[in-house]
Amino acid sequence: MSSPDSTPGPGMKFFVAVWIGLMCIVGIEVVITYSHPPARQLLVWLLALAFLEAGIAVWYFMHLKYERAALVWSAIPILVFVVFMLDHIWPDAFRLISMRFLSN
Amino acid sequence: MEFTAGHGHAGLMEESPYGIPSGKLAIWCFVLSDAVTFAAVLFAYGYLRVGSPDWSTPFSFSPSILNGIVMTFVLLTSGLTMLAAVEAAKAGRTSAGTRWLWATCALGALFAVLHLLEWRRMIEEGWRLFQNPTGGAVQFGAAFFSVTGLHLLHVVGGVVALLIMALGFPSGKYNRTDIEVTGIYWHFVDLVWMFVFPLMYLMNAK
Amino acid sequence: MSEATAHAATHQHTAPTGFFRKYVFSVDHKVIGLQYYGLGLFAVIIGMILSWLMRLHLGWSTLAIPGLEKLSPVGAPGNVMTPEYYLSLMTMHGTIMVFFVLTNVPFAGFGNYFLPIQVGAADMAFPRMNMMSFWVTLSAFLVLMAAFFVSGGPPLSGWTAYAPLSAIGQDAGPGQGLGQTLWAVSIAIFCVAQLLGALNFIATTLDLRTRGMSLARMPLSTWAWFITSVIGLMAFAVLLPACILLFLDRVAGTSFFVPSGLVVSDRLQPHTGGSPLLWQHLFWFFGHPEVYIAILPAIGIVSHILPAFMRKPMLGTRVLIGCMAAIGFLSYMVWGHHMFVSGMNPFSAILFSVPTLVITIPATIATLLWIGSVYGARLRITTASLFCLGFVSVFISGGISGFFLAQPSIDTYLHATYFVVAHFHFVMGVAAIFGMFAGTYFWMPKMIGRMMNESLGKLHFWITFVGVYCIFMPMHYLGLAGNVRRYAAFTDDFLVPLIPVHQFITIAALVTGAAQLIFLFNLVWTRFRGPKASDNPWQATSLEWSTTSPPPFDNFGGKQLVVHNEAYLYGVQGASGDYVMQTSPETVAQD
Repeated sequence: MSSPDSTPGPGMKFFVAVWIGLMCIVGIEVVITYSHPPARQLLVWLLALAFLEAGIAVWYFMHLKYERAALVWSAIPILVFVVFMLDHIWPDAFRLISMRFLSN
Repeated sequence: MEFTAGHGHAGLMEESPYGIPSGKLAIWCFVLSDAVTFAAVLFAYGYLRVGSPDWSTPFSFSPSILNGIVMTFVLLTSGLTMLAAVEAAKAGRTSAGTRWLWATCALGALFAVLHLLEWRRMIEEGWRLFQNPTGGAVQFGAAFFSVTGLHLLHVVGGVVALLIMALGFPSGKYNRTDIEVTGIYWHFVDLVWMFVFPLMYLMNAK
Repeated sequence: MSEATAHAATHQHTAPTGFFRKYVFSVDHKVIGLQYYGLGLFAVIIGMILSWLMRLHLGWSTLAIPGLEKLSPVGAPGNVMTPEYYLSLMTMHGTIMVFFVLTNVPFAGFGNYFLPIQVGAADMAFPRMNMMSFWVTLSAFLVLMAAFFVSGGPPLSGWTAYAPLSAIGQDAGPGQGLGQTLWAVSIAIFCVAQLLGALNFIATTLDLRTRGMSLARMPLSTWAWFITSVIGLMAFAVLLPACILLFLDRVAGTSFFVPSGLVVSDRLQPHTGGSPLLWQHLFWFFGHPEVYIAILPAIGIVSHILPAFMRKPMLGTRVLIGCMAAIGFLSYMVWGHHMFVSGMNPFSAILFSVPTLVITIPATIATLLWIGSVYGARLRITTASLFCLGFVSVFISGGISGFFLAQPSIDTYLHATYFVVAHFHFVMGVAAIFGMFAGTYFWMPKMIGRMMNESLGKLHFWITFVGVYCIFMPMHYLGLAGNVRRYAAFTDDFLVPLIPVHQFITIAALVTGAAQLIFLFNLVWTRFRGPKASDNPWQATSLEWSTTSPPPFDNFGGKQLVVHNEAYLYGVQGASGDYVMQTSPETVAQD
């Protein structure tokens, strides 16, 4: 039974280019880290770049680009929603320092 | 109101809305679920870090960050070799596909070894799940070892799966879809590392 | 054609032989469903016995219960329960009931049996993984049961296992040593089993529907199982790491959940810097979707059964599907309502309270749909339909108290009182159980090919229905009167006058519990003496009634069904008969 492998794709040359791009992003992350920005700024940069990297990996490496739109629109919003809901814990995280009874 | 695209003309079944084999659908669901698991652990790490007045940032460029960069490179390359394996499998080139599977497996194993060596070095310096030799928050050790440990577990699982695939693919025990499914899992492991490296290593660089 | 078709097709031709392959290590979803059901039955009996022990103690706190000392010499010296042992029994009662009964039977039990059949498939998408899910669940159950027999006994931190009590080890009390660790391990294993099950359900629903079975034509029970598995996929994914982190706190000395400077049992705990609130957040992030995982299948089952006895479809089948999906979606937004008094940021309370009130909307719409559908219908009274009506009744009773608890201002007073106990027992402990009973009486003829005894069934229903109201209605009053929950005995001035109410509840609980023997007897009687069931004893429309009772190994005897109709064509104008089956070639114009 010939499996209609639904996912056509670009060739390996393209994937090598993506791979180079991903490593560049890692390089940028390291460079930013060693420019020693304040922690909050560093976090924002690193998260943004991490999401970019992840997005590229999911889109190209995991072939999500070549799947049906339905899969994209099912998987990504659910994940975004769940992770977004987890963010509700941050108000308590930020209060924690001011509520500490003993240091260490 | 029809939810599906239409009946398969000669088909005996309704078409799946996603048009992919069940194995692929299942691994995507698994990836979603596992992503939430890692998100929860990373959130726990963030929660405790934000709440700690004395968080350590002990990673010097050499050896820790450098090691991290090498591990990232190894894992990213293994993603590339995995892609090569999938492409070869799709094109019917079984022996090439098998070779790329072995390459991916080897790179994954290399990652695990590098990681375990790093752990050993840190343990020798006095780091434990409950102990921080620099005197800062003990949560550092707890967060570091549990996050990277969970990831390492997934890497080892992936290496085992790749091993099984590499052994079974030539004989036809596993087909191209199985390789693709393994590939999606392996890329997911890589994807998690894309968060672990910046959040666990770079954010804790000296 | 998907790969799964080939997989299922080859699966069709190889019926297993041999006792072990057929009944023990079976990959047949029907056998696995019955295995889950059997596990749930065993678990609910244990859970109920635990509740009797608790209730006896609450009514008569100095009562010596014969045999208790044998079970735990430390926990019940002289056969009288210590307060710690009461808490241990309470913890195990909650854990067993929520996980191994309520998450197990309506979803894994009935879902495994009927989902593939209702979509017209020969089996689940991954039969071997399905078998593995059951055995992993059983392993989790055995690990949990082991807690009864280890030194120290079972944990006493409640099914919610709040830190730091659950995280610090033996100092926190008997059962908090190995018992609590076994709890954490058991629940982590359970999470894995549920995740595997969810994968199977989703893949089967989406990929293995037979020709003509569009998503819109799926029965409501199938929709409920599908939505439940999507919820579960995300929810159990958070409980698993939470249990792992708890495990590390307990055995590896980490301090995820334990703060500094904690002195317990006169001993300074070595942990530093953790946050008990983090456990609560992670646990309830799972815990709230979990309770909807417990109720949604029952909602689906009841909505599926009622049309067969009303001989008309539900008032808004598509709306009901939307309600279930909305409940599933909103369930992720409300978990903080368990934490209103926890010390959580009070502004977060608003963020959680509003969605909690919003979630009552789809639940209310569903309730109005049930009531509106039954109104004006000539409902045929059978045990199954009685339990469906009973379900609606207790769902309303339990749901209304939810309106109160959703508001932080009121919850500040009612939290940790019997008001909450009444609420969740009505919606989970009764409504979901009624859904299981309805499913049993409705589907038993299909599963084992014999009709259950209706007289015994109706007797079972009426005693149970009156009984649960006697048990749980007074608890609302107790809660409002300030009766704190999770107390082993009531010695405070304001609580002592409430003890007679507790005694009444205890007696009601024992009588209701005894009535369940009627059900058990009925099950056994049916198996050996029940009249043979036809293929379609209820003259129902969905695909499970298009095959024999019980179905053959591959569900449809090698036939590939073709579906022509929606799921609930009862009493349709222009049809040749009173109902049109989904597989019937007769297609009726819908107005």
